[in-house]
Amino acid sequence: MQTRFTETAYTNGYEFTSGAGYALPEYPFVEPPEIRNGAIRRHPIVIVGGGITGLTLACSLARLGVAAVLFDEDNTVGVKGASSRGICYTQKSLEIFHRLGIYERIARRGIQWSVGRTFAGNEEIYSFDLKQQGGFNLSSQPPFINIQQFYIEGFLVERIAELGGIDLRWKSRVTGFEQNDAIAKLTVDTPAGSYRLEAEHVIDATGSHTPFHQWTGATAQTRKGDDRWCIADVRFSTHPPTERHTWIEAPFNENRAVWQHLMADDVWRIDYQMAPGADPAYVSREDVVRERLRRQFGPEVAVEIVWVGPYAYRSICLDQLRHGRVFFMGDTAKVVSPFGARGGNTGIADADNLAWKLAAVQRGWAAPTLLETYNDERLEAAQQNVLVTNRTARFLRPADGMERVFRTAAIGLAKQHRGSQPTVYAAARQYINTGRMAIANPYTRSPACDGTGGLSVQNARFHWAVSGRNQASTGTVNDLLQWAQGRLLLLVFGELSAQTAARLQILSQSSPLRAVQVVGTDGQAQAREHVRDPQGHVQAACHVFGHAWALLRPDGYVAATGEAVDGGVIAAIERSLGLLQGAHA
Amino acid sequence: MTHKLTQAGADDFYEALLDAHLGLSNEQSALLNARLILLMAQEIGDAKLLVELIAAARQTSELT
Repeated sequence: MQTRFTETAYTNGYEFTSGAGYALPEYPFVEPPEIRNGAIRRHPIVIVGGGITGLTLACSLARLGVAAVLFDEDNTVGVKGASSRGICYTQKSLEIFHRLGIYERIARRGIQWSVGRTFAGNEEIYSFDLKQQGGFNLSSQPPFINIQQFYIEGFLVERIAELGGIDLRWKSRVTGFEQNDAIAKLTVDTPAGSYRLEAEHVIDATGSHTPFHQWTGATAQTRKGDDRWCIADVRFSTHPPTERHTWIEAPFNENRAVWQHLMADDVWRIDYQMAPGADPAYVSREDVVRERLRRQFGPEVAVEIVWVGPYAYRSICLDQLRHGRVFFMGDTAKVVSPFGARGGNTGIADADNLAWKLAAVQRGWAAPTLLETYNDERLEAAQQNVLVTNRTARFLRPADGMERVFRTAAIGLAKQHRGSQPTVYAAARQYINTGRMAIANPYTRSPACDGTGGLSVQNARFHWAVSGRNQASTGTVNDLLQWAQGRLLLLVFGELSAQTAARLQILSQSSPLRAVQVVGTDGQAQAREHVRDPQGHVQAACHVFGHAWALLRPDGYVAATGEAVDGGVIAAIERSLGLLQGAHA
Repeated sequence: MTHKLTQAGADDFYEALLDAHLGLSNEQSALLNARLILLMAQEIGDAKLLVELIAAARQTSELT
């Protein structure tokens, strides 16, 4: 299946109104046999919602060889009339897509960037280059790629078709739901009629308008403000630099904030902060949008408007991400303001977290209690991302009074630093908050992770150990995870005693585990499965030093690390698979 | 804190603080205080202590 996208004209798309800036691919509705034969089939895994989160989960399951059914109420990717949503994908998301086999497609189409600049008035007050920051440089994926969300969704649909095993059912809306301890029952409406089915696990990825919150009695913490923004996705006759530019106080936007970011097809996202409580219909009117763009770029720059979308910032965070048979992920788990790309990327990581756990439980490798750790780990991530984005929102829309005084103070100090004043001002730019870029969230309170684990492993490069060749070919951590096929991956660094090598072999045979020895350029390998890590990049990515081991999960997180290959390894394996009694407090 | 102010140092600081506010309007004084707090926090550099200091400052019947 080859996906084609062509552009069409301007649209004043608001929420789910008609019109589309892009003509999106359409997928066929196939009448399911249940409508004719009336059978009620039982499915182990049902995914509701074919957005970036639901499709990532479906693709992850397909790669792990686990069958699932996915329902989407539409017959396309993106949302009609609101086709451009997320644009900015983190290194961790790109590493996940690399494992799923669509990274090359994304990299070809998308735009890499690493430089961000922040302005107040006409002055630049802060800048960063992520390539210069140590946290990003071990991976074979770049810090960020910008691309329209629906492209990734389209690539995922293609990839799912290539992998097979997933039943994608378009134009299928879930309209009824009930559950007991053992099973969930769903009703699905389609153009050909409705039918019922049963599911052992339901994953709700329908987005913020989900009916499942009400059906399951899920409760949430919600925060709403009066801050209003309006996106214009545009194409220019001139090209701004490939950098993320943010204005806290833009002279061309009545001293309110503006975001400027590039994505695929030479389309720029310009996001304008509006007056508090502004009318969305007015601020997204074409003549009003054009006037704003003229003020920013000058009257001589020709601008083609691809898409416009006004919105209000808010945050929602569920109190629990699992209710009975139902797991919540993506925008059904939490909604954040889009600062720092902490929305869509969190959904991708949600999906990657649950996929391997569902697969491991289904194969009998892990205890069903492992599924509980989805809530422990991803609720922590959701809460952290809500906290961080709400702080940015507060900086960008301070309450009148002292909140605004403090922001004026922070901007003033940061400006003085740029003006080569004494270094006492240098640190003040830390207060400037135009979004803290998303990271792979650490898990600090997961029963499945040891205190030494819970951190993501960058997709670092190593050399394959091929004898008789002068030119070493390189692999990445993802290649090893791929080889482990949903099992745990134990990396043991340095030379091994005969006893340890034997122990590793027994461990691999007796548990869902693959073990690999990682040695330096001249180190002696005792294990048959070994790779070379001449620059120590894999070891650094695993957050260990010297003689050590690291237990990696299929989602590229370290479950635990240690020094000696002893009983501690066995305890870590059991813990990471939910097999330790009482591990779940 | 390891570096407590001496008596003389405290007197110096208190007077310098008052002098810095001379001739300022209430708005200007508020901005000066805000700038000073932000700079001082960077110099103190201990996030836990800063939160404790905020709580200590808030703890008086005059602010309830």
